Amino acid sequence: MPVGPRAPDVTVAGFEGPLDLLLELVEEKKLDIFTVRLADLADGYLARVRAMTALPADEVSAFLYIASRLVLLKARSLLPSLMPAEEDEDLDTEEELRLRLIEYATTKGRAEALGDRMRAGERAFHREGGTVDLPPKGGDPDALAAAWLKVLALTRRTDEAVEVPGERYSVEQRTAEIEALIAEQPAVTFATLLGERPTLGYAIVTFIALLDLYRRLVIDITQDELFGEIRIERKGRRMEGLPE
Amino acid sequence: MTRSAVAAAVEAVLFVAEKPVSRSELARTIGAGAKVVSEALAELEDWYAGTGLRLQHEDDDWQIVTAPEQAPYVAAYLGADRLRLSSAALETLAVVAYRQPVTRAEVESIRGVNCDQTIYTLMSRRLIEELGRREAPGSPFEYGTTWEFLECFGLTSLGALPTVLSPEGVRSDDRVTST
Repeated sequence: MPVGPRAPDVTVAGFEGPLDLLLELVEEKKLDIFTVRLADLADGYLARVRAMTALPADEVSAFLYIASRLVLLKARSLLPSLMPAEEDEDLDTEEELRLRLIEYATTKGRAEALGDRMRAGERAFHREGGTVDLPPKGGDPDALAAAWLKVLALTRRTDEAVEVPGERYSVEQRTAEIEALIAEQPAVTFATLLGERPTLGYAIVTFIALLDLYRRLVIDITQDELFGEIRIERKGRRMEGLPE
Repeated sequence: MTRSAVAAAVEAVLFVAEKPVSRSELARTIGAGAKVVSEALAELEDWYAGTGLRLQHEDDDWQIVTAPEQAPYVAAYLGADRLRLSSAALETLAVVAYRQPVTRAEVESIRGVNCDQTIYTLMSRRLIEELGRREAPGSPFEYGTTWEFLECFGLTSLGALPTVLSPEGVRSDDRVTST
């Protein structure tokens, strides 16, 4: 077997595989893939494989497999009488290898067509929908308006509390005031005690005074529903006259 | 050409759909026959020609997508990255796309090299997927392309795969047929 001229170094990056290398040999020599005698490519192929010695064995093995088949084809063409009948090993016929080469050439063309599309970036996009969680239907606009008015009122109160610093209340004084009020009327609401626009300090003192009165069994506190009106009532008559 | 009422209904449903909608689901939703829905889809397809939208379909699943020609603008808006694949991955993808359903061994036989890595890459990019196991010795997995593949390559269906002349000319049995 003649040793061909040493080919330029071949890296695996240069070829996508052993069939790619074979295809390149065909194209380099401007041969027709359908009529070329593949056996004639054996020497050129071996020369290129020989240049791959730096590659790991498992990567070279696929190239060696094709090389061995080319050498077999060449041996058969040189000494046809010495070879076994071809019908026994149809896997190793030239025709079978040629079909694989043609199929690979087709695949390569398709890969290039897909690559062109990819590089052109002409892709489609679908609508990225985030599912929108809609609130339940049947909301009450009046309730919304009422709530908004309350928030506005609160904001106003807060502003005034800031504007009037230094107010001082005494729990004892407030307790006496409430006790006097309860003595006059049997029941009063918490809102009434707070007045129209209580400051924070006034509200706290009033609240502590009520707790103190409750602790001393002077008043009863009731609330019919959540967030409902809080009623402050004088303890029942039955309490009166009991020893302290 | 005026769009029929069914085409308008199909368009409206596909517009809000976040994933492909099957023709039978369209028919059920709209209350029209499958044949009427098919005509409506064809009507929409014609109507979208030259607009910024396209109808994409795989088998019987349909979705409205943007036209590939508008990709630069949509990508800029979405801040989308460009797809990059090695030529080895492209070769494997080409075999799967044109020959599906196909096994790993068949891909390797055509390419002549081990394809573990490229198949893994394409799977992780959601360009190909396992379709199921073939009833054959070893029950190997069969692979096919995904909906995302069509989208990434701007193909309205598998029937729109670029026609590449094989060395002996087009072989009709080689093309994936899609209805």
